[in-house]
Amino acid sequence: MFKAKKVSAAIATAVVLGSLVSPSADAAPKNQARAVVQADWLEKNIDDPKVRIIEVSTEAGLYERGHIKNAFKINWYTDLVDTVKRDIVPIGKFNTLIAKAGIDKDSTVVFYGDKNNWFAAWGAWIFNQYGIEDVRLLDGGRVKWEKDARAFTTAVPTFKAGAFKATKVDRSLRANLTYDVLPVAKGIKKGVKLVDIRSADEYNGKIFAPAGFQELAVRAGHIPGAENIAWGLNVNADGTFKTVAELKKLYADKGIDGTKPIITYCRIGERSSLTWFVLSEILGYGDVKNYDGSWTEYGNSVGAPINNPAGTIWGAQ
Amino acid sequence: MLWTKTEKLKTLFSGLVIIALLATAYFLSSKENPGNAPISLMIGISLGLLLERGRFCFFCIYREGIEDKNTTPFLSILVAIASGSIGYAIIFGQFLPDTSGDSLPPAAHIGPVSWPLVVAALAFGIGMSLSGACISGHLYRIGQGYLRAIPALIGVLVGFVIAFLTWNWLYLRAIADAPTIWLPHTFGYAGSILITFIALIAIAVFAIKKGKNSEPIRSQPLQVLTFKSIYRKVISERWSPITTGALVGIVGTFAYLRVEPLGVTRQLSTTARTFMEERNIGPDSILGLDRMAGCIAVVSETITNNGWLAIGIIGASFAAALAGGRFKFSKLTFKNSIASLIGGILLGWGSMTALGCTIGVLLSGTQAFALSGWVFFLFSFLGVWLGIKAKLHKI
Repeated sequence: MFKAKKVSAAIATAVVLGSLVSPSADAAPKNQARAVVQADWLEKNIDDPKVRIIEVSTEAGLYERGHIKNAFKINWYTDLVDTVKRDIVPIGKFNTLIAKAGIDKDSTVVFYGDKNNWFAAWGAWIFNQYGIEDVRLLDGGRVKWEKDARAFTTAVPTFKAGAFKATKVDRSLRANLTYDVLPVAKGIKKGVKLVDIRSADEYNGKIFAPAGFQELAVRAGHIPGAENIAWGLNVNADGTFKTVAELKKLYADKGIDGTKPIITYCRIGERSSLTWFVLSEILGYGDVKNYDGSWTEYGNSVGAPINNPAGTIWGAQ
Repeated sequence: MLWTKTEKLKTLFSGLVIIALLATAYFLSSKENPGNAPISLMIGISLGLLLERGRFCFFCIYREGIEDKNTTPFLSILVAIASGSIGYAIIFGQFLPDTSGDSLPPAAHIGPVSWPLVVAALAFGIGMSLSGACISGHLYRIGQGYLRAIPALIGVLVGFVIAFLTWNWLYLRAIADAPTIWLPHTFGYAGSILITFIALIAIAVFAIKKGKNSEPIRSQPLQVLTFKSIYRKVISERWSPITTGALVGIVGTFAYLRVEPLGVTRQLSTTARTFMEERNIGPDSILGLDRMAGCIAVVSETITNNGWLAIGIIGASFAAALAGGRFKFSKLTFKNSIASLIGGILLGWGSMTALGCTIGVLLSGTQAFALSGWVFFLFSFLGVWLGIKAKLHKI
């Protein structure tokens, strides 16, 4: 049995590596070759009007001082969220944005950004919710592109207004505290796997938030039953995704194999969208939700049970 | 006799300093993750040469205008703002083509206009009179052997520590709600350039009328191309205020394009902040400061980009001063050291509270069409005027 698994993993790896050489738009809908584009492919297709490139970086002025040719800039904290309601961007505002980005129904949208594609992955998650069919991430993001000495430009592209209009939001990709997370935490709903992608120290309640972060919860620890698989385990040292076989094993070792629904979360929901992308788009697991309220909502919620192995208490001296 | 033996040696040594600086930039650029360190050092070298050769020292320029009625050097500041504002408008036009929204161009020095800005600019001006220069002035004048810069820069660090302690209080009472006024939001880029130029011309007319300018704006052009005449022109004689100003504006434009707006205080404020952090002095967080690029005081133990810029200024200024025969240790007495130290404290407190100094807020701010830059210009000048009238610079 174990041997057979190994063999099939090897075959899967071979298939993936083979398909990586020439990924194409008509590859199978859910696999690494389809969901993750390599820099060589992007360079070849950079002027293809069917390919729309979007940069979501967090450092101010990064895009302006140089970006991948034809890349459109999206600001995570204003364009992709509703700052008044703490919600994802409303549908009307989203449609205005993608029209400006020149996105049509058959566009291939390639996201990339700084900080290991965290916010690019958040963008991919939002675009999927609004029904854009072909959304991919650039392997290694901005850092790898720059390290490989590939070209940047400062020219800002303008596009003919795109024709795609979102009409509904796919709620199955997003976890809600009341309806999805609490029932699992309280044991009412069984068989749902929670993935906490924060550091072990946050998961174990030793610290409330990593040093330098302002967004805090008044409790430390994690949602009962959550497995701790730090986001960094998804990627290699250069920021590229690990192979499908490696990723499958990483999650299978913690009992997550796609047979049961999965909810990912972190502190504010942006790093966990990278893990959402791995599970849903690269591994193709069926029911994967990102919980964007994450620990800053859950850890602060009255009546929500937690598991805090370290026993730290807010305000205790 | 073209060169005496000493002059030859000095020039050779200057050349070696410049080569060492360039080699450092080359070495930095060949590291694994060079970031913006090499380009920051190169910008610093250019700026150091310009400040020294053009004597682009805000205090000296103000003092000559106020005391000697020589307003010719003042034109270099106005020209720097003019050329820089054109450069900024060109970059802004691409970074932020649409000015109708609320957004500001990334990382530009556009600050809130508040009463603490007014007080800080006044304090900064008085600090300039007391210590004999502004912060960039002290940096390049170290290279000329101006020993008073040392107590002044120590004072600047102390001033930063005090400013970190007063910042949160001021921020919550006056700065957080203060308007951040950026001219292009109302007038667009063309209108903003027009307004900037009208203001600059008005100031220039006033300065020229008020001044008794006997100094020739430029020396005789080269009659015959000889090594001696080139040497004299480039190394010995002070560069014309017009040339200097125009080049300072261009360097500022390149700095904004490639790294961040010109500013010389961040390494100093970072050093002060790190010092406080290590000793647990002061507040854990400095409220709202993440809004200001280029002047943010991050806690760090290494040399920041801004530190490389400062090294470039000091090194290049030293090389230029030495070759031009202007390197001379100034007299340092107990009295003038104390005056420098106190002046430095005012400079440090003022520049932290105003979120920058004569380079960061005044130049980079006015060039970026920020009202905060003009407010700092006006009140720092007023501070110097008060300081000179009170004879603080004679201490």
